[in-house]
Amino acid sequence: MSRITVDIDLNRVEGDLELQVDVEEGVIVDARCIGTLYRGFEQILIGRAPRDALVITPRVCGICGTAHLYAAVRALEQLAGINPPRHAGHIRNLCLMAETLQSDLRQTFLFFTPDFCHPSYAGHPMADVIARAFAPFKGRVARGALEASRNVLKLVAIFGGQWPHSSYMVPGGVTLPATGNRLLEAKDVLARVRAWMEQDVIGDDLDTWLAVPSGPELFTWLESVPAHRDGGLGLFSRFARSIGLHTLGRGSPHLLSFGLSPTPNGSRALAPGFFNGDTCRVEPLDQPRINEHVSHSWFLDYPGGRHPWQGETIPDHKPDARHYSWAKAPRYSDKVVQTGPLAELRVGAEPLITNLLSAEGDNTWLRQFARLRRATWVLRSMQETLSALGGCLDEPHFVDPKVGKWPDGQSYGLVEAARGALGHWVRIEDGRIAKYQIVTPTAWNASPRDSQDQPGHWEQSLIGLRIPDIDDPVQVGHIVRSHDPCLVCTVHFIGQARKTYACV
Amino acid sequence: MKNILWMQTGSCSGDSMALLCAERPALEGLLDHFGARLLWHPSLTAETRFGPVLEAVTTGRERLDILCIEGSLLTGPNGSGLYDTWKSRPKIDIVRALAECAEQVVAMGTCAAFGGVHAAPPNPTDCMGLQFMQTTPGGLLGQNWRGKHGLPVINVAGCPAHPNTMAKVLAMLLEDAPIALDDLNRPAAFFSTMVHQGCTRNEYHEYDAEDDVLGGRGCLFFSLGCRGPLTAAPCNADLWNGQSSKTRAGVPCFGCTSPSFPADRDLFATPRIGAVPKALPLGVSRARYMAYKNLAKAAAPERIVERKMEP
Repeated sequence: MSRITVDIDLNRVEGDLELQVDVEEGVIVDARCIGTLYRGFEQILIGRAPRDALVITPRVCGICGTAHLYAAVRALEQLAGINPPRHAGHIRNLCLMAETLQSDLRQTFLFFTPDFCHPSYAGHPMADVIARAFAPFKGRVARGALEASRNVLKLVAIFGGQWPHSSYMVPGGVTLPATGNRLLEAKDVLARVRAWMEQDVIGDDLDTWLAVPSGPELFTWLESVPAHRDGGLGLFSRFARSIGLHTLGRGSPHLLSFGLSPTPNGSRALAPGFFNGDTCRVEPLDQPRINEHVSHSWFLDYPGGRHPWQGETIPDHKPDARHYSWAKAPRYSDKVVQTGPLAELRVGAEPLITNLLSAEGDNTWLRQFARLRRATWVLRSMQETLSALGGCLDEPHFVDPKVGKWPDGQSYGLVEAARGALGHWVRIEDGRIAKYQIVTPTAWNASPRDSQDQPGHWEQSLIGLRIPDIDDPVQVGHIVRSHDPCLVCTVHFIGQARKTYACV
Repeated sequence: MKNILWMQTGSCSGDSMALLCAERPALEGLLDHFGARLLWHPSLTAETRFGPVLEAVTTGRERLDILCIEGSLLTGPNGSGLYDTWKSRPKIDIVRALAECAEQVVAMGTCAAFGGVHAAPPNPTDCMGLQFMQTTPGGLLGQNWRGKHGLPVINVAGCPAHPNTMAKVLAMLLEDAPIALDDLNRPAAFFSTMVHQGCTRNEYHEYDAEDDVLGGRGCLFFSLGCRGPLTAAPCNADLWNGQSSKTRAGVPCFGCTSPSFPADRDLFATPRIGAVPKALPLGVSRARYMAYKNLAKAAAPERIVERKMEP
């Protein structure tokens, strides 16, 4: 039996992605995700004033900087016991959801669906209609997504000044209050984005679509009228299933979400939690269960996994087969997990995704479908949050926490970013940042093997795949892009031999 | 028709994301109306492999009119460039090779121009910009490097670079319009405005109504770290996302178009001599500025003193 190793690089993701797969008789028998970029953010943060994290950490990621800002401010507020007013909470949630919606639209229609225009599908009966909708920069839905993603980000600018990379969430609240004027501007933005989503993506009223409760009713809905069939969502779903994406790319059965609670009374919240794939039950999130392994990474080895507060990151490049990535391997209760919209909606018990997951298991179509479902869920929540914000314009947007010197201690901030569970862990000593550790969604999903030799979630999702054309493995592209990779975020938090800080 | 190749090095992809936010012109407008042909962009082009594009350009089969680099150039560890690789090859080597083929090279963002956030102390990756290491000329390509067209690297600075500025610089290059550069090789047309110009907190600054804590309506320059009066950028002349700017929203300007961004100090505090910022508005003499501020404070109307004006 001949076994060959193939290096695969892919674009239309965030950052540069490299994979190595071992192929036997046309089937992937092993896969390795390789982290190829190190930017050293943790080193840059050490010794700085705590609030500098609000400026530095959004720059970890150009597509989810708002989520990093939110995680950073939560960590600082936890440390100093600060409770921001609800006026600020609404604005923060609105901006986070705007960024998520932007990311979901761009990922789906700029990164994922262009693959449906691949030459190998030229003979597909839907090829023409797919090209008219999804051809890069030209297709109707692709063009609309460019414009809608620009529009929805105006909402972040209204309250935060600009997107990407602003720092308007600060300990104690936000820097700018909502006013009647800003509220109206935001309402107008959302109304336009909703109109486009209903017209060109869903082909139906948003609330009607969100009420679709189960798989059988979804498939009936999809085929019932031309508007459903030929919207961006209908075309994506019908084409993806016609090429079998609902049968490909099964990864880890365990799901992790840090949850989203867009309104303070918790109505319509997606709860945080851990979906245990062995028992098919959701367990409450227990942050201390998070740890990171380095057994297959280029770091000085330690046994088992360590919690981010205890993490040790001393580079140790070993050019052997066992070690292959600058990324660490985060685990939850030592289990490999996946995170992202599928996990967020299932852990939050959204009926349609819950039903589809139990019917077909996780797969490439479902991960991408869940992303679009989440985009529509978020859009409705944004309108509700905006209404709630309108009800507290007279309340403060910022309460000065009067922190002169930051107290010594350690804390964390957890946020459900567009790509899933994002955590910042910080330790302050003598009023300065002594340690900063970030575990990003893609770090969970794209992790290498751990000390028990369990492959990461992406690696699992590729093993067993049959690839007809090893030089142009279009199926690998579908599977990997369905994970919504963000490589720029993933492997930047390692130490460095030249300047090693004491990491307990 | 001109070919554009966009390559990312040590970056967060924020300049690419900002480019997607450009409105005048939009990215699709550059493609439709300005004759841009995107040979490669890591997030956007349909082609799935970089290798064939790289080969076509370096062998001269494809002409490279405009090379855009996004991200710091990582030379570590120990000069190897292995902190940032493509197929085990240091990206800095690929950048050098592509730059030799390019008519024009554009640094999209402060990272590619000057090193940016990754070059902040202790500069763990030994990174730099294409022709500058922060304020020092040199960088990866050297001070004397010129593109085939005769210009040095055009530094579209900003973290991220302003969406419309990126799009307009590309449009000017596509149209063969002349581009004048300032002393940091930034296109002068977009860097001859201070962030302070057009800030809706200007009247507060005028009458010395300065805020000590975030969340207020006043000026952020004296206490909260704002560098608006010292920073050349169009942020308040050409609003972000067509809506606003950081300073309008009460976020200090961190000076992200400057070669020394991010400053090596508490970013939300202004270093001062006495009550007055150590770094004054560009070109202003200290004695005269202090005299002006004392008079201005005395002249401040009640609506300013009591922060009645919404920025």
